[in-house]
Amino acid sequence: MILTLLFASAMLLISIVLSPLSNRIGMPVLLLFLGVGLLAGQSELGQLMSTEVESTFLVGHLALAIILLDGGMRTRFETFRVGLKPALSLATFGVVITAAVTGWAAHWILGLPLLPSLLIGTIISSTDAAAVFALLQNHGLRLNQRVSATLEIESGSNDPMAIFLTIILLELITRSTPPGVGEAALLLLTQMGLGAVGGLAGGWLLARVLPKLALQAAFYPLLVTAAGLSVFALVSLFDGSGFLAIYLMGIQVGNRGLRKLDDILQVHDGLAWLAQLSLFLMLGLLLSPHDKMEYIPEGLALAAVLILIARPLAVFITLWPFGFRWREQLFIAWVGLRGAVPIVLALFPLMADIEHAALFPIIAFIIVTLSLLLQGTTLARAARWLKLELPAEPAALRRLNIEWASPKNHRLMVFELDGEHWTPPRTLKGVRLPTDIVMTAVLRDGVMLPYEPDLKLQSGDQLAVIGEEEAELPLARLFSSVASIPALKESTFFGAFELNGSVQLEALAQNFGIEVPVELHSLSLADYIDSCLQAPPVVGDRAGLGSIQLVVKSLEAGKVSRVGLKF
Amino acid sequence: MQLSELLTPPLTLCHVDVVSKKRVLELASQTIAEQLNGPAAEDIFSGLINRERLGSTGIGEGVAIPHCRMAGVDRAVGMLMTLASPIDFDAIDNRPVDLVCLLLVPEQGAEEHLQTLAGLAELFNDSETREALRACTDSESLLTRVQGLCQER
Repeated sequence: MILTLLFASAMLLISIVLSPLSNRIGMPVLLLFLGVGLLAGQSELGQLMSTEVESTFLVGHLALAIILLDGGMRTRFETFRVGLKPALSLATFGVVITAAVTGWAAHWILGLPLLPSLLIGTIISSTDAAAVFALLQNHGLRLNQRVSATLEIESGSNDPMAIFLTIILLELITRSTPPGVGEAALLLLTQMGLGAVGGLAGGWLLARVLPKLALQAAFYPLLVTAAGLSVFALVSLFDGSGFLAIYLMGIQVGNRGLRKLDDILQVHDGLAWLAQLSLFLMLGLLLSPHDKMEYIPEGLALAAVLILIARPLAVFITLWPFGFRWREQLFIAWVGLRGAVPIVLALFPLMADIEHAALFPIIAFIIVTLSLLLQGTTLARAARWLKLELPAEPAALRRLNIEWASPKNHRLMVFELDGEHWTPPRTLKGVRLPTDIVMTAVLRDGVMLPYEPDLKLQSGDQLAVIGEEEAELPLARLFSSVASIPALKESTFFGAFELNGSVQLEALAQNFGIEVPVELHSLSLADYIDSCLQAPPVVGDRAGLGSIQLVVKSLEAGKVSRVGLKF
Repeated sequence: MQLSELLTPPLTLCHVDVVSKKRVLELASQTIAEQLNGPAAEDIFSGLINRERLGSTGIGEGVAIPHCRMAGVDRAVGMLMTLASPIDFDAIDNRPVDLVCLLLVPEQGAEEHLQTLAGLAELFNDSETREALRACTDSESLLTRVQGLCQER
């Protein structure tokens, strides 16, 4: 018992200590965990541990639930405007198409009967939320929102579908009287319906109750974890999709403007990483004793089918009604990262103890590894190549909630002054600052100075400001800058000049001498750009007008509010 | 067309003392009208103000490039001003402006003038250029510096 604990914690410790390596060699950190798990699995104790399928199953579920809860809390309602419908289409039909095509390929490649082949296709059919979230955030990559929102929502919401298909297929394989269409439909309805209702109700209740409780600060994040897992277990108990429930619950909690959210997220970030670590270590452990690595060529072939045929096909078919450009579709097809979910799903056949059950973790391992290796490492380059990257936004160095009796959610933000704005040093006189902020202090060479309007700020200073969340971005843009390639410099990307979205094309024609057809004269820039796109506009969208290019610079309530002008 | 080809000594002013965006545009309109004997100062001013209504020409980093098309002008005219103290120009990065480079173009040849405008924005995009111009203490050296900078490019 104690030995198991020592073993598990030592693996964790080694993985965490080694994690900085992953940045240096440009390898996703998850692969490193997988490697540690593989190595540990070679030991006698590791082999002993991996035989306990039941506890592995439990850990897998727990870990996945935690990851989805965290992912849900980080999904912003705003992203639903552009991402919800395409993501849901991808998460339902997309999963089925991917699973069917890959399953068909598995039938040929592995020579298995059709049902187990489809099961293989299914367990590797869902895009992994944690891998996508981690990779998108870690690279400091700011992507076209149409793409990032779709990917984030898809990866969070497609797991229930994959799990459902896995359960159905397992029933078909194991039962002597397989479920008919009616029963399958009922199962789908129960899974999705109960999951949705349970998650939404639980999330709503939690978001209501949480601010009213007077708890120790440390208990708030734990309360969310406990409530999430309770709903997860309860919904699962009644044959609903616990994964869908906990994800929806996360979304509810994360979007209610809770004052404690920063602290909750911080703890959950750690928990989600712990969950990831455990899952990948576990997969590594799980594989070694079987020593059946002879499936490598088949696994690679299957991975090729999945990455090059099944996923792109699913993306193109499910996204065509939503007016995505081919670059966007290509990127979404490429970022079909596989991660923790196939690992957990590969445990289902093991639990059911069906024929060829040992094959599933091996295939999952090969495909997850290849996906992370190939797609994970090229994600940033692909985004740049497909021109889906936006100029990065600077952010505060640190933020800390101030708990005092104000109806507003004040926070203390620390900014580091850098870039050419602050050489030579200058004061903030004449600068338009966001409303309702207080400059407090400046840290220069380790010495704290009180902020005064006459104080000349210089590069390297750190400035502490109190204000609301909305003030962070304008302040960050004022104080800091983000180094980038020339093409992503703000003035190059958006053009030097900026126009209001409400400006009429007639005024544009008069002021710049651009030829605009008379029937378009009364159209506003915002409406004109809308009419050029097949999808709701997002920052970075472009529309040509005569010899100039209009670039969407910002939106308010879904309407283009500022437009960059490129000649 | 390069900035050095657009400027003349009377239209290159150093450390101008103005307090507001409106005053800068008024001063510029008057100065240009006196030099051109073409359009009236009021027409130039209203042209510039109308352009500002579409969106500020304060392009950031303390630079503004007010511009408009003007009937009765037969060639592109530029004017460069450094300000004694920065003023609020409603600039896109919320910073005050102390470098104003104005461009007035004829109504024909729109395409060419858009390129001139893009060239100006490009010139002021460079932080060394901006600092070099800010460092000038009199109008002659400002013009000389502009000519030097344009030759380098």
